[in-house]
Amino acid sequence: MNGIQKGMRIGLAVWLGLVILFAIAFPTVKDPQLWYEFPTIPGLGDKARILFFHVPTAWVTVIAFLVSMVYGIRYLARRNPDDDLRSVSSAGLGLLFCFLATVTGSVWAKFNWGSFWNWDPRETSIFILLLVYGAYFALRSAVESEEKRAALSAVYAVLAGVTVPFFVFIMPRIMSGLHPGAGGDPEGAGPVLEFKMSTNMLLIFFASLAGFTILYFWIWNLRVRVGRLELNNLEPFSTP
Amino acid sequence: MDGLYTFLNENALYIVLLIALLVWAGIFAYLYRLDKKIRQIERSLKRREEK
Repeated sequence: MNGIQKGMRIGLAVWLGLVILFAIAFPTVKDPQLWYEFPTIPGLGDKARILFFHVPTAWVTVIAFLVSMVYGIRYLARRNPDDDLRSVSSAGLGLLFCFLATVTGSVWAKFNWGSFWNWDPRETSIFILLLVYGAYFALRSAVESEEKRAALSAVYAVLAGVTVPFFVFIMPRIMSGLHPGAGGDPEGAGPVLEFKMSTNMLLIFFASLAGFTILYFWIWNLRVRVGRLELNNLEPFSTP
Repeated sequence: MDGLYTFLNENALYIVLLIALLVWAGIFAYLYRLDKKIRQIERSLKRREEK
């Protein structure tokens, strides 16, 4: 690892460490005066802090599934096993972050809505998304031939990727529900960040989004490299 | 015991903060070591390939 790469990794550690520190330690007050004070969001209070972590996990889910779709398309165009590896590594990470978003959201729902799970449109849509990508891995494990598996799962990754924006951005917004940003939200149907977050919250929120995105690309890179080592060890060293 | 309970009750937010920071430090250290290990294996495989 050279100096720059080392510095970037340490930088990410510090960056997300500071995000965690600010997101949790800054006090919420009714009438914020100082730069580090968060406004109290009615009905949420300290529970609003979830948005610094829960929303970025959902965001990374979307990126990961879209990256998986892009490399699925690339595989279909070039038939390079490396693209399949990138696609499946990203889909796996997407499923992991999707699961994290579901669990963090469910715990939050217990304390804010009174039950872990009550089939809110947002909960329903993320559950379907988990099923869609669970089926992706079921499909992969069911096909023996490597080329056939790669081609089939690339097609499936494209079809599944098309549904992601619908389940994340559209369905929960047009149906009325309890999740912030749902249709019928008394303060408008836009995402919560547009009208409820103050400047300091927005800054930390976007810093968190950026940090989580870099973290995703790092883990993805590690997974792809492990996959390549695996491929290289099973086959002669001359394969790409 | 009572004092500890009151302390935890009043500082819940900071305890959450501490746990979150510890979890992040753990995840980061794990990824960092993994990255280093993968790089070492990549190098040794490359050397073997060149021989």
